[in-house]
Amino acid sequence: MKNHLSRRNVLGKLGAVFAGVMAAPVARTAKAAVQKVFVSTTAPKGYDPTKHKWRMALDISKCIGCGLCAEACKKENHVPEGSFFRTWIERYIITKPKPGSGEARGETIVDCPNGGMHGFPEPTVAKEDILHSFFVPKLCNLCEHSPCVQVCPVGATFDAPDGAVLIDPKYCIGCGFCVQACPYGCRFLNPVTKTAEKCTLCYHRITRGLKPACVEVCPTESRVFGDLKNPVADDPLQKFYENNRVQSLKPHLGTEPRVFYAGMDKEVR
Amino acid sequence: MRRFIKMPPQVLRIFLLAVGIVVCYSVARYFLTPESFKQYGWYRGEALAEMANRYEPSFAGRKACDECHSDVVQKLAKHEHKSLSCEGCHGPGQAHSDNPDIKIDIVNFSTCARCHEANPSRPKWHKQINISNHYGGGSKCTECHVPHSPNDVP
Repeated sequence: MKNHLSRRNVLGKLGAVFAGVMAAPVARTAKAAVQKVFVSTTAPKGYDPTKHKWRMALDISKCIGCGLCAEACKKENHVPEGSFFRTWIERYIITKPKPGSGEARGETIVDCPNGGMHGFPEPTVAKEDILHSFFVPKLCNLCEHSPCVQVCPVGATFDAPDGAVLIDPKYCIGCGFCVQACPYGCRFLNPVTKTAEKCTLCYHRITRGLKPACVEVCPTESRVFGDLKNPVADDPLQKFYENNRVQSLKPHLGTEPRVFYAGMDKEVR
Repeated sequence: MRRFIKMPPQVLRIFLLAVGIVVCYSVARYFLTPESFKQYGWYRGEALAEMANRYEPSFAGRKACDECHSDVVQKLAKHEHKSLSCEGCHGPGQAHSDNPDIKIDIVNFSTCARCHEANPSRPKWHKQINISNHYGGGSKCTECHVPHSPNDVP
């Protein structure tokens, strides 16, 4: 091949490089314009997610099943009417074994009328037949290895550095894979926005220095919330970890939930 | 350059197609990758700020109540109901906190019953009543009980 080092050739090449340099800002402007169509960003900053580590913990022996948490959550997060809950309360009833059956415990009955939002009716089991009965508040378990994050085909759900597992509503396509993947049944498809939703630890509240709505209204301090990176004086979360032997839901699945329960029975799933 | 053109045309076409695909991919990637992608991880970092601004809080928190009603908050802190949040019984208070003309819920019978109605699933330490037996089924709890200091007699 002949070497073309003529004046015309060199000038042409230099011109091309110059045009390329000139085109870069144009491309950048075009990129910004294109992205504006897909994602508009009006969100102000001022909260550093890398400086926090939020955790919630629940003490089952303190829950009285009043349903204030489930109701507050619906109001606070504009959760649609009907059987859609970001947090809810389940009632567990373990009956006495049949006499002479040789069993330690009878059957387990779980119910959750309307998420426990308006309290619980009289149980279907007679009071004398109940061995144990208790309420279990449920919410997103904020797993360390979240199945919901792994299955999302568009990467819309993610593990935020501050311990919350969030869903990007602009990128969620509403396919529902995550709803099926969650072993705790914590997700649902919002019928209004058609995107997946779940507990965000009230992300709009914790970033403003408030407690999540359910923790705020809980009358018995059954729900405990705190920041592992910035413990306050007399931190309720640290006290919870000190005073209780904790357990997580479905540990055999290896999801490593970050929500811990105290006083849990083996029947709780 | 000439050797390039001497390539068999079917190979050249495949080669050009491959180059075209790579160029299209690069252009699409350049234009469509969000600015804040990989700020914190394999997702759009701005989504965090957007989630933080998605809703306005409707529960103001006890600190906001304390600004005007510190007498009640202090009284509550001394008695059995000290773990209760103001907004647990009175309902969400952000609107009232922003504009005191908007009235907040007055507590009624069902508010008390919600927690204190007897239920076999409730823990034993929690004080519960059988509403039909208690005080002849009357529905005025405040005749005998003070909600902010439950052990006092009005």
